[in-house]
Amino acid sequence: MALRIWASSTANALRLSTATTPHFSPLSRCFSSVLDGLKYANSHEWVKHEGSVATIGITDHAQDHLGEVVFVDLPDTGGSVTKATGFGAVESVKATSDVNSPISGEIVEVNTKLSETPGLINSSPYEDGWMIKVKPSNPSELESLMGAKEYTKFCEEEDAAH
Amino acid sequence: MRIPRKLEVWRLGTVNYLKALKLQEKLASDRKINKISDTLLSLQHPPTYTLGKRRTDYNLLVPESELKTMGAELHYTQRGGDITFHGPHQAVLYPIISLRDIGLGARKYVENLESTMIDLSSLYGVKAHGQRKCETGVWVGDRKIGAIGVRISSGITSHGLAYNIDPDLTFFKHIVPCGIADKDVTSLRRETRQTDMVLPDEEVVQDQLVTCFARLFGYNDIIWKDKNDLEIDG
Repeated sequence: MALRIWASSTANALRLSTATTPHFSPLSRCFSSVLDGLKYANSHEWVKHEGSVATIGITDHAQDHLGEVVFVDLPDTGGSVTKATGFGAVESVKATSDVNSPISGEIVEVNTKLSETPGLINSSPYEDGWMIKVKPSNPSELESLMGAKEYTKFCEEEDAAH
Repeated sequence: MRIPRKLEVWRLGTVNYLKALKLQEKLASDRKINKISDTLLSLQHPPTYTLGKRRTDYNLLVPESELKTMGAELHYTQRGGDITFHGPHQAVLYPIISLRDIGLGARKYVENLESTMIDLSSLYGVKAHGQRKCETGVWVGDRKIGAIGVRISSGITSHGLAYNIDPDLTFFKHIVPCGIADKDVTSLRRETRQTDMVLPDEEVVQDQLVTCFARLFGYNDIIWKDKNDLEIDG
């Protein structure tokens, strides 16, 4: 808190815009939730592998950094996804951000609720905000993804970069 | 110790919208593989209407054929945001930068783009503000002076911001700008008309906008390149 006040009064003294300072505190970043049992990509998507199906969505850290999601663009069922390649996009704050698939496979289900209620990605990124379900074509790809602990550290390092 | 960050700025003058789009796509894919460092295109467009990914063409109030008569083009894009107009005397900046390298998400990036336009406005005594009721963009009172529409792919940005220095504002009458009805559009010229403030040449203003961007994003060095230094046709 004190850090934020210092930044704000310094900015005033230098007559700089203070529009960015409310988000100055680096300490606020460490509280996005990361779930055990999921795997994570460095582009902030998660995968939940259950039997022959893998569910994919974006993480709490991702939705927090995006802002309020107003539109979700998803592919059709039956299409395929490739590891580290885009399969859809979300729009928030006038920015469309591509979403990448952490694994390769065939799309078996798409979350149609997201067209009516895109905000589910913000309110429930790991549950109701899931995006696609995929039949993995190469399950060994899951091994190269991050676990919860690794991903948490990754987020902390990325946020500290600014 | 922070590594000094440099921004390469390409001053391109007036560029056709599609040519600028193709250039951005090439630069974004080069940036993704680290073939180039952070680059910003500073340019203007001939009269052009553009739509975002949501294809909100119900906000275009005249038939497309009429746009052609006016000498304007219409383009559908992958950027976020609603319908907008670009034209002469409007400063357009397209930063092609890596957000991952600086740990920024979409929300913070867009806030910084707003701040860029707010800071520039304040140089001329114009009090602008952003995020009006969660509506992204830059406003003076309830008149919109700057618009934002961005695309982020694998953490690399394209498209960007448009700031009204002194465009012909009547072009905005043919759309519901950014999907917001019954709100005015304004320009730096209009906002300084009643004051003692004298605006310099618009190239100066546009360069200042770039400098505001560079300062906000923490670049230590700007490398300016003009159209003649680069191999591009307009």
